[in-house]
Amino acid sequence: MPAAADHPFAHLDKAAVGRAVSQLAERPGEFAEAYFERVELVELPPDDDGGPGIRVRREEGLAVRLVREGRCWLAARDEIAPRAFGEALRRVARVMPAAAYPEPRLEVVPDEGAAEAPEVLEMPARVQRAVRARRAAFPLRLTVRRHRRWVQVVRGERVVPEPEAERLYSVAAELPWAGAGGRWGALFSELGEAAAARVADALVDLFRARQAAAPEAFRGVVVLAPAAAAVLLHEAVAHALEADVLALGGDPEAAVGVRLGPEGLSVLDDPGTAPEPVRRRSDDEGREVRRRWLLREGAVGEPLADATWAAASEVLSDGAGRRGGRHDPPGPRSTHLELLPGELGDDELLAAAGGGLWLAEAGRGALDPRSGTFRLDFPAGRRIRDGAPAEPVGPCRLAGTVADLLAAVAGVGREAVSAGAGWCAKGGQRMPVWATAPSVRLEGVEVTGWG
Amino acid sequence: MSGVAGSGLAPVLDDLGRRGFEEAEVFAKRGRSRRLRLDPFTRASELHEERGWAVRAGTARASLFAAGTGEPPPDGPWPEPDGRPIRLPPPVEEGGAGAGWSEPADFEAPLVGEGEGLEVLAAIGRELAEELAGARLLSVVLEDGASESELASRRGVTAGWRGRVAVLRVEAALGGGAGAGPAVAVELAEREARRFEPRALARRVADRLAAEAAGPPGGFAGRDRGELVLAPALGARLLAALVPLVVGPGAAERIGRLRDRRGRVAGDAVTVVDDGRLPGGVLTAPVDGEGLPTRRVTLIEEGRFRQALVAWDEARVREARPAGCRRRAGWRDLPATAPSHLYLAAGEAPPGELVAELARGYYLLDATGPPAVDLADGRFAVPVCGFAVERGRASAPVAGVTLAGTLQALLHGIQAAGRDLAFFPYDGMVGSPTLRVSGLELRGPSR
Repeated sequence: MPAAADHPFAHLDKAAVGRAVSQLAERPGEFAEAYFERVELVELPPDDDGGPGIRVRREEGLAVRLVREGRCWLAARDEIAPRAFGEALRRVARVMPAAAYPEPRLEVVPDEGAAEAPEVLEMPARVQRAVRARRAAFPLRLTVRRHRRWVQVVRGERVVPEPEAERLYSVAAELPWAGAGGRWGALFSELGEAAAARVADALVDLFRARQAAAPEAFRGVVVLAPAAAAVLLHEAVAHALEADVLALGGDPEAAVGVRLGPEGLSVLDDPGTAPEPVRRRSDDEGREVRRRWLLREGAVGEPLADATWAAASEVLSDGAGRRGGRHDPPGPRSTHLELLPGELGDDELLAAAGGGLWLAEAGRGALDPRSGTFRLDFPAGRRIRDGAPAEPVGPCRLAGTVADLLAAVAGVGREAVSAGAGWCAKGGQRMPVWATAPSVRLEGVEVTGWG
Repeated sequence: MSGVAGSGLAPVLDDLGRRGFEEAEVFAKRGRSRRLRLDPFTRASELHEERGWAVRAGTARASLFAAGTGEPPPDGPWPEPDGRPIRLPPPVEEGGAGAGWSEPADFEAPLVGEGEGLEVLAAIGRELAEELAGARLLSVVLEDGASESELASRRGVTAGWRGRVAVLRVEAALGGGAGAGPAVAVELAEREARRFEPRALARRVADRLAAEAAGPPGGFAGRDRGELVLAPALGARLLAALVPLVVGPGAAERIGRLRDRRGRVAGDAVTVVDDGRLPGGVLTAPVDGEGLPTRRVTLIEEGRFRQALVAWDEARVREARPAGCRRRAGWRDLPATAPSHLYLAAGEAPPGELVAELARGYYLLDATGPPAVDLADGRFAVPVCGFAVERGRASAPVAGVTLAGTLQALLHGIQAAGRDLAFFPYDGMVGSPTLRVSGLELRGPSR
């Protein structure tokens, strides 16, 4: 990641911006912030896409927001300039254009174009080699992207968080054997041989399961590999414990202390321990991030809350406010989930699970916050026989209530790995989410085939 | 934006030309929008100003795509070209891109005001509560926007045009607290926010909630092949799922598999059109995302396939004239072949008459989940809700059932179309009137 001096907003006059923003929040309990961002996307489409090769998008802009008594005003611009900032302030304050709002100098390190991305250009060939090394061959259509974002939030108070920077990669594969819409994707903090191996492992498994029949419905054991466990946690724990989601069913504060899972199940959200290129010290509202116990020994510790929800509560804490970009308002969202490891090896999780399923990769999940029902789809899996993954099975689905699924956790592996990173698109705001998780064994869950 | 379409983009084109890019195109867009949001916990008012540009350029061997905020930079920097060369469209000679175009007067209409817009959202909540006891809004979002676009290429294509779109998303539920009653989400689009009618929308949402609250009708098991009437929302949803049959270079072959012995791909009542200049259309524009003139294209006429919707470089010699149909979702996006206003043409019958004529059947309001369409297998299935109908009158709500069949049965089974064409936002606007359909199957509770 670039040194601090190279950060686009390293020389921004934050004190002047802070003084300007502080004029918006007039009364106790109100707060305001200015958000500056620069975003870069470098995309390599499939070879046979027919359009331009490397594609680069770079953008920058700002947003000003005021929150007052449950109401929010936001003005966003696609430029970083004193006049644009002044206009945004006036819009949010809802004053006449001639009102004397300050237009501080906004010095931004010039945009000199996208840095080269050889790791992006090399990735399709790496994956191709890795697939061949696994003695498989199929048409490979990959889209590889590098995403970079630089953020500076300035709040009205004197404390100004450090500028933040993130870099991540996404790999999306079209699955020609799965018909229209057959896709696989994952996020990585680094691209190289390890990422290529991970992509190849997933695609080869899906290829070999392409003609496998979906399993008959059953109630029994499933063992989720770390990547699949991470997606389960994201949907069933993280989303379920976001303050705005909890509020749909009642008071978010009332969730604290409720037992959702067995003792031994502890889940945290900690943006400060995410992989280094995406690690954060402050959230997208400029609030310090925290190591937050979502579940501690099975009981709800602390829901995810942003500044708005925290301001209305004596129990909820901010630091989990995230936004898709300057044109989106912040909201509660997890960043980096950690499932604390248990004491069982994978062989122990698989033992005595004969007839159950080993599920390595999860697809889409959906949580109905009002009913607490939850569904997670898997594109393929493997039947467990003699304590090991055996023949492939086709698409299957895990469904139930959040409480029932978490209560079904019967074993947690001892080796937590960084896995299961992906895009979360709650409310139309797409953001990367990360996880560190071990394998997990569920007992007594209902599994059905689909597709 | 510049006074003459494309003139502000000339310095960028000149720079690209000096760097050896024989093919070059610059697109610039400026827009502003107001977004209002209302839910039980917050009221939000947002004002957005967006400004972006995009360049496609190529040499004889490779090409690039670059996009960014602000004004397009007259001297780059540009990424190194890669991949394949591109071909950009030549200009249309006869009358120019804007020939025959009259900009609608409501493009001048100001964006909805904050108070005005919040009142619309609040009115939806009030009307909904009046329509159906226990119904409540979970969230409603209104976005009203206006934009100006400009395009120029080294091939001589130049165009400037404006747009005006308002989108309304409503989520509502029946009953309070956790787990109580069904929830529905509805999305509508108009050219400006003042055209949304809170009462009509509330009725649509209330009908959906009432139907879904009932679950499958008592005794409904297995399958039923009763006569069906599909409301416009469901007809449009199904048509949106069938876009690959009528759009793109492979569409002719895909839809050809549905031909009957008379050589028709659908019933006589079926005419399908895409119209980039549809009067009153939300996405109406004189040109597409490559600056080529839009027009009305008949894809299916009284059951006979006429042509696919294809762009200038996708049309084969035997196909009819290509249309300007490469749409850009935004300045960040490459143009892609897509419909603007794709619709099943309306008929003459009042929609109520189509329902009244049912001796026994179902009036289906809407899909309750995404349709699953298997083009290779020629089959579809979609979860739906609505009402059972006996002797022309609704007898019981129906939900948790699946409408299914072959694509051939669907298209050939459309017997009549009502006169109530309505459009809904999908990838482009997709429209349908009320339809009477036979030959399809309703299956028992969906899992």
